[in-house]
Amino acid sequence: MTFTDLLYKIFIQDGGWLTILNGLWVTVQISALSLLFGTLFGALLCFFRVGKFKPLKVAAQIYISIIRGSPVLMLLMLLFYGVFARTGLSPLLVAVVTFSMHTAAHVAELLRSSLMALDKGQVEAARTLGFSKWQAFKLVTLPQLARIAKPVYQSTVVNLIQWTSVVGYVTITDLTRVINNIASRTMQPMITIMGGMIIYLALSYIIYGIFHWTERRRSQ
Amino acid sequence: MKLKKLAKVLLSCVLAGALFTGCGGGGDKPAAEKPAASGEVKLGMITHLNVTEKKMDDILKMVEEESKVPLTNFTVTYYDSLKLMQMGIESGSIDRMSLYTNVANYVIANNDKYENVGDSTLKNLSDNFCFAVRKDDTALKDELDKALGEMKADGSLDKLVKEYIIDVDKGQAPPAIEIPMSEGADTIKVGVTGDLPPLDYVNAEGKAAGFNTALLAEIAKRSGKNVELVDIDSGARASALSSGQIDVIFWVVVPTMEKLPADMDKPEGVELSDPYFKDNVEHLKLKK
Repeated sequence: MTFTDLLYKIFIQDGGWLTILNGLWVTVQISALSLLFGTLFGALLCFFRVGKFKPLKVAAQIYISIIRGSPVLMLLMLLFYGVFARTGLSPLLVAVVTFSMHTAAHVAELLRSSLMALDKGQVEAARTLGFSKWQAFKLVTLPQLARIAKPVYQSTVVNLIQWTSVVGYVTITDLTRVINNIASRTMQPMITIMGGMIIYLALSYIIYGIFHWTERRRSQ
Repeated sequence: MKLKKLAKVLLSCVLAGALFTGCGGGGDKPAAEKPAASGEVKLGMITHLNVTEKKMDDILKMVEEESKVPLTNFTVTYYDSLKLMQMGIESGSIDRMSLYTNVANYVIANNDKYENVGDSTLKNLSDNFCFAVRKDDTALKDELDKALGEMKADGSLDKLVKEYIIDVDKGQAPPAIEIPMSEGADTIKVGVTGDLPPLDYVNAEGKAAGFNTALLAEIAKRSGKNVELVDIDSGARASALSSGQIDVIFWVVVPTMEKLPADMDKPEGVELSDPYFKDNVEHLKLKK
């Protein structure tokens, strides 16, 4: 059997490529939804974390340190097989909740570190010039914050996509599960897993491409 | 600017490629030389459900005593799944894989790099396969046992063995499984891993088509229940069973030997059905 035949047998034959696409779609779905909710929740967390209200500040601190300090697979298993076991929630929903929680902690920290990098004097200057608090945030802080946070945010997105590869543990058939199934069926794990890696790599490069494109548009 | 980028991407691809082939090539050599030097064979095995490696060593000793098959001169490495074990043997960290005959035949039929070790003493080793359910789920266990008894009696079990194991090992694709789905009936949720073909197998369309699944579908048809197939990673099977996310798992093995207690590697809180299939152990190695 030549190498091309082998590739055909592994990735194409009998609709194998469709199964891979289905798995990829599940991965993209979980990643996109988790990114959306994670970013929103993360911004809120950051707001609490840098705010003046003590109880919320401490709560946010504790939440961030616990979630950032523990593997996401443990959290996922705990939620699916423990907390939500009897509720009958769909595994996909539990996965989105878990990854949103996880992303939120990371986004909160990256926003906070970007905030700390900003010059406080600018906001104070804006305030003395008669800008309201909201105006100062919108016109002075936010544009700079976005610029500083962007590169780190990009790597958070790419990391998130890779973290979702563990959802096979909670009965979801994502890209990794499909690749694993194919590897076992065809008895060619090395080639199959390399193929899977290339698909994940392509997904990451699409993310890089999108960020690069927005950067170029802004500079024009 | 663009050219520079292109060169960068190409270079990283080449580097990654070199890394992969380098790992494979470097690993092969010691594997070929070591067994001759130390007189020991490094053997890969798939981990049993919920058995620690220490306990597994004890079990192997007991098996050795009873079957007189020398097992303790192997250095055993445990793998979570067949796929990982294959990667282990291809990279040279083990010399042989311990499998069941039907699985070994499947491996050889699908990947011509492997061959049988041809160790005839292994014929004395055999294991039974059975379903596992939760301990408090006695109704389901009784149902499984009853249906299994019926199927053994009327020969339909042998028919499934031929269709889903013997024919598949010859290279045929297994026939599609008709999953019973009737309104209002109870549903048995079953965990499928796809990790051990042809017993636990997922076809190219992503549908479960292994012997175990076919057997369970037939049982459900007989007892008027629905079956829901749940694709799950093999590492999470025990958690999924005990938390009630799935009701049945298969690919649980019990020894056929008399002196060994049948439930010696049974996890707590789990009840095993009657055995439905028996198979011998077989060792595979890479062709020289």
